[in-house]
Amino acid sequence: MFLKNIDLVTSNCLVPLVAWARAIAEFVKSQNGSKSPRIQLLALFCFLGCGPQELAYRSNLLHVASLSPELTDQQVEDTGRTVQNYVIDLFGTPDSPKWPMGVEPAVDLEKVTRAAGPVGRNEARVEHGLYRKHCVQCHGTSGDGMGPASALLAPYPRDFRRGSFKFKSTPIGKKPTHADLVRTLENGLPGTAMPAFKTLNHSKEFAEDVDALAHYVRFLSIRGEVERRLTAAIVNEEIDSEMPRTIASKVAESWALASTYAVPPPSFNSAISSAERLASIERGKTVFLSELTACSKCHGKAGDGKGISQDFDDWTKDWTIRAGIDPTKKAEWKRMKKFGILKPVIDSPRNLNLGAFRGGPTREDIYLRIVLGIEGSPMPAIARKENDNPGIPEEGIRDLVEYVFSLSSLNTKASLNTKASLNTKASLNTNGLATTDRGENHAQSN
Amino acid sequence: MRNPTDAPSPWVFRWAMLVTFLTFPLIWLGGLVTTHDAGMAVPDWPGTFGYNLFLYPISAWIYGPFDLFVEHGHRLLASIVGLFAIGLCVVATRTERRRWVIGTCYLFLAAIISQGVLGGVRVLFDARTLAMIHGCSGPLVFALGSFIAMASSRRWHQAFQKRDDNGLGRLAVLLLILSIAQLFVGAHLRHSLPTWSPAFFMSFVHTHLMMATLILISVLGGAVLVRRPWNRPFRELRSPSNALVIIVVMQILLGFATWIANYATPWVELTPWLARYTVQGKGFWESMIVTGHQATGSLMIVCSLWLACRAYRRSADVESVQSRGVASEKLVQKNRTLEAVSVGIE
Repeated sequence: MFLKNIDLVTSNCLVPLVAWARAIAEFVKSQNGSKSPRIQLLALFCFLGCGPQELAYRSNLLHVASLSPELTDQQVEDTGRTVQNYVIDLFGTPDSPKWPMGVEPAVDLEKVTRAAGPVGRNEARVEHGLYRKHCVQCHGTSGDGMGPASALLAPYPRDFRRGSFKFKSTPIGKKPTHADLVRTLENGLPGTAMPAFKTLNHSKEFAEDVDALAHYVRFLSIRGEVERRLTAAIVNEEIDSEMPRTIASKVAESWALASTYAVPPPSFNSAISSAERLASIERGKTVFLSELTACSKCHGKAGDGKGISQDFDDWTKDWTIRAGIDPTKKAEWKRMKKFGILKPVIDSPRNLNLGAFRGGPTREDIYLRIVLGIEGSPMPAIARKENDNPGIPEEGIRDLVEYVFSLSSLNTKASLNTKASLNTKASLNTNGLATTDRGENHAQSN
Repeated sequence: MRNPTDAPSPWVFRWAMLVTFLTFPLIWLGGLVTTHDAGMAVPDWPGTFGYNLFLYPISAWIYGPFDLFVEHGHRLLASIVGLFAIGLCVVATRTERRRWVIGTCYLFLAAIISQGVLGGVRVLFDARTLAMIHGCSGPLVFALGSFIAMASSRRWHQAFQKRDDNGLGRLAVLLLILSIAQLFVGAHLRHSLPTWSPAFFMSFVHTHLMMATLILISVLGGAVLVRRPWNRPFRELRSPSNALVIIVVMQILLGFATWIANYATPWVELTPWLARYTVQGKGFWESMIVTGHQATGSLMIVCSLWLACRAYRRSADVESVQSRGVASEKLVQKNRTLEAVSVGIE
């Protein structure tokens, strides 16, 4: 991969070499006629240029350009600026966030203020700037997923501004609960750059820190979604003086109601006999391979992720397919580069044999992913049998969970569809090593 | 006045070694400050939360938050290094005959003080760019301290071999420049600003990788040169060269580990372990790996300087040394023996 990108690497290497030289040259140019450019240059680097700079939220120009492909670059920037003015009026700046007047609070502003702003401790030794300390490198100041390191990560960091989150306990189209966000912050996402912050739980401030960060993520998401809706209103010339607050109220309400949509996962009985579990796994395999669920179309018949799916996630489709751009053709999407994009990449289905479930390793977590789907990704919610509607009954879903769980709970390199591997599982269980979650299975294999 | 041919006073060397050995943990602690973004954990300077630096309650320091522990510890250790640097200047003034060595000791003290002031201004202005400059100049100060130790060592005085450089010295200087440049690029990555575009950050990553490759080639080239027949008699070249090989291998491994500890890997499907690996936010071992990568970078600079010094010091022209009357009989004899060996090999 490195050799494949050698041209990119070589050309990129020139950037740092000229970056400082260009900054100095531009400064000297701007000081034409000055008698003491050297002293000023020193001042620039020692104090002024290196001094504190107030960050600003970035305008969502990409959304403007996606909604109105006919706009010129200048018009896109002008529209973005108009929207930004409304949004600053409602939500303030990164250093001084605020909540829109007259809108029912959906976040704790005190916690938001603590998580935002520059990193450090105040005189009372309370830490602030948590988002810039832990998150901004990947998620960016605006929560747009365009932090400095973002382009080098796989998958890309989440853009909060659509209000879509993958791993949650609510159905597709609904916001995550506060507990969902806290859980992701605490446990991280395996196989991605999203860290687990539970390593910091020795700190007295840990619970408060994570809570404050979750509130700030909600804040950025609400702010971003309001910005998107305002953009649509301005592009369609439907804006009026009351509209910003009305939009903010609607978005805030959707967050406030999130917990009412939360689906409690059923408990799985870990003490069932090995024969029952094997039978459940066999039935689950049939469900996995069935046309009705079509799991194997994306995840492959062996669950190794080698299906036929070549789809993109919703964050990419938002500015490509929905804007009439083919994400597979660079000639079409490269014109959006100036508005802040990351190269479109296919959202690959998970290889279930690896035992890396980003939404959580337990059967309960897998159940939620199957029943609720993964928002923003090609993974749909399963069709459930309800009344006369065709679909998978509750028992079938539980069998499917057992099967998916079994795919990763033995030797991950082996094909787990073979009878031999199932026999191994049976022998493990009969030896009293029945497992309840992936962690325990790892302990066994170790 | 003491004759220059006299054995040098060991005290400058001992003090310089002491200060250098204290500076390395200071660099490590400074790296931890960056890793934990603890630069502003203490919002005032030169005091600590209104206390005199040395009077801040130990219990509040030890049992306080980790970022405060690291930042205040960095300041305390820096003060101790500063005090020892003053001691080094006093010792050099009293015992060292070479004025330029004494001057370098005072330069080192000035550099230590400047570093302290720079760190303080970084806090007062809450300026991340100044933190980056502070992080870049720290290893240079460490290298300066190491240089004083090298210049005051017995080997420095004994090195009177005839010029037979064959490019090793120039390669070592090139390696020194590359290592410093690599440190600067790395500091940009560590102190990247939220306003940077992803493409700009990526360009620094690619530069860092490209320069790492160049450094690896230079180090291996140096190791080969040191073992060529014309360099074999100069066995003192092997220690810095071997150290560089070990450090560069360690540094490359630490570099990969640093990326994984910070951002996991894009190729998660390579192994189940990578797929299951969850980055630990500010975890202990992760912090040590990331900080270790930065601290080992400063060792790279010092070892390049060590190799350069040994490559050039063995090349002092023996006749000019003799004409200045500074070569002891024993050393001249040693040099003749080495010359004879060299001629024999050629």
